[in-house]
Amino acid sequence: MINRTQKLGSFLSSIRYLLADFIGEEDAAPPFLPEGLPEAVVSEVSDGIHLLMDYQGSSYAQLYVDRVRRFVGRRGVDDNMLGEIARLMALRMSYEDPIRIAQQKLAEFERAAGDPRAPSAEIMRLKFRLDELIGALPTAVAQPVLDVLEWIGWTHRPVAIRFSTKTPWGVRRLRIEASLRRWRRFSGRFKTEHAWVERWLHMISRSLEKQPRAASAIVQTATMIKGYGDPYRQGLADWHAIINGLAKPTFDGVLPLADLAGAIAEARAAAMPDPRQVALKRCIAEIRTRALASANVAAE
Amino acid sequence: MDTSHLSEHAGTASALFASVFVVATSTMRTMIPLRLFGILSNIVFIASAIPSRSYLVIVVQSLVLVLNSYRLHQMLQLVRDVKKSVNSDLSLEWLKPFMTERKCAAGDVLFYKDEKAEDMFYIVSGRFRLVESGIEFPIGAIVGEFGMLSPSNARTQTLECVEPGVILSVSYSKVEELYVQNPAFGFYFLRLTSARLFQNIEKLEQRLAQQTAAAPISAAPNPA
Repeated sequence: MINRTQKLGSFLSSIRYLLADFIGEEDAAPPFLPEGLPEAVVSEVSDGIHLLMDYQGSSYAQLYVDRVRRFVGRRGVDDNMLGEIARLMALRMSYEDPIRIAQQKLAEFERAAGDPRAPSAEIMRLKFRLDELIGALPTAVAQPVLDVLEWIGWTHRPVAIRFSTKTPWGVRRLRIEASLRRWRRFSGRFKTEHAWVERWLHMISRSLEKQPRAASAIVQTATMIKGYGDPYRQGLADWHAIINGLAKPTFDGVLPLADLAGAIAEARAAAMPDPRQVALKRCIAEIRTRALASANVAAE
Repeated sequence: MDTSHLSEHAGTASALFASVFVVATSTMRTMIPLRLFGILSNIVFIASAIPSRSYLVIVVQSLVLVLNSYRLHQMLQLVRDVKKSVNSDLSLEWLKPFMTERKCAAGDVLFYKDEKAEDMFYIVSGRFRLVESGIEFPIGAIVGEFGMLSPSNARTQTLECVEPGVILSVSYSKVEELYVQNPAFGFYFLRLTSARLFQNIEKLEQRLAQQTAAAPISAAPNPA
């Protein structure tokens, strides 16, 4: 009898594994903290793990732990920097898409259900770009739609989405939207965010090797990217402009910039909410010219 | 004499016979016997449908027959190519039919150091360089084949596109799929990757020997 139950359990587990992509992760056990993690950073990393467990699941939280592990015990990385890397990485890995906002709104609603003093439900109306909205769907579905939108010229059109828990239908809609999280990792946006986090970590690593004094400034560049819609796009474009114009050439040895941290701070101060990035590009060009000129003077 | 009832009985008997092949096909564990039995079932179904003139069955089974034959051919060719590669230049060119093309612009990064490895690449054109070591890959090089078998599964360097070009990529899961579907492929694939690994060790040993020979006498360790 026990043998038969075990066989049935094993069969069901195989079916669950086969359909894991569709039914979501059943294994809710959080990953272990990285070995050798300093005591001072444990709370930040634990918070990050719980955030990402809620955001996506245990395998995503495991990816976070693996990424944190790369900097544990590394030369030039003190507890403070490690904590900042862990905190900012968790925030970037839990980027705000319509699915995330639905998750947060639902969590608020569930908390309020058990607390009579909680504020009453409100309707949130948020503006996304159409490509941002479609980009949250699996690539196979999203790509043809994005191609059509591109052809019509509607890719950047703003779309207002309502997130409401006032009516049962609103809650039901939020549940449906939040349930899309299991397909999030097949989306184009997920791939873009994955590549961004890897590039940010790569820049931190290179900074630790080539210019350790600038590593903290590189870590803090993650704060440039937040939110959704136009502010998100602007932050992302500014970040790439600073990294491509200052950090990467310095690490590649083609830009003799002695104070990269100062240059990043100067460029960040020049960044304005301007899609053409006029002030930022001018500032980066000036910093580059200055650095090359002072290197020439030093060579003479 | 009316023979319609005879052909009807013959049709039923042959459909029953064909069903035996369908059951046999389902019991196959690996891809090549499964395709072979699939082809046999298709042939028997077509033969059984001819007397009763079931045109729909004939058309459907013919289509599936073509598909099964094509897939079997692909699988056999794959095994043959891997086997040939093991015995000759150890190249991984046989993977090309399973790869997808991707255009790269200068500055694009294919993967970062310490990132979890998930794909291997074949360089078709352009220039690609490992950022940390500065090593450039020639056209025709395969990058990232060991990541699939390494326990840590992490990239050891960053690969950047220096001049625009085209690469072909295949995911490890696709190679794993081929491996699981076809034991012969799996066996030769293991032999091939081991041979490439030994080849690398041999190159390293040669380089070490050259360095040792070129090193000044004073650098030699002092005897105890």
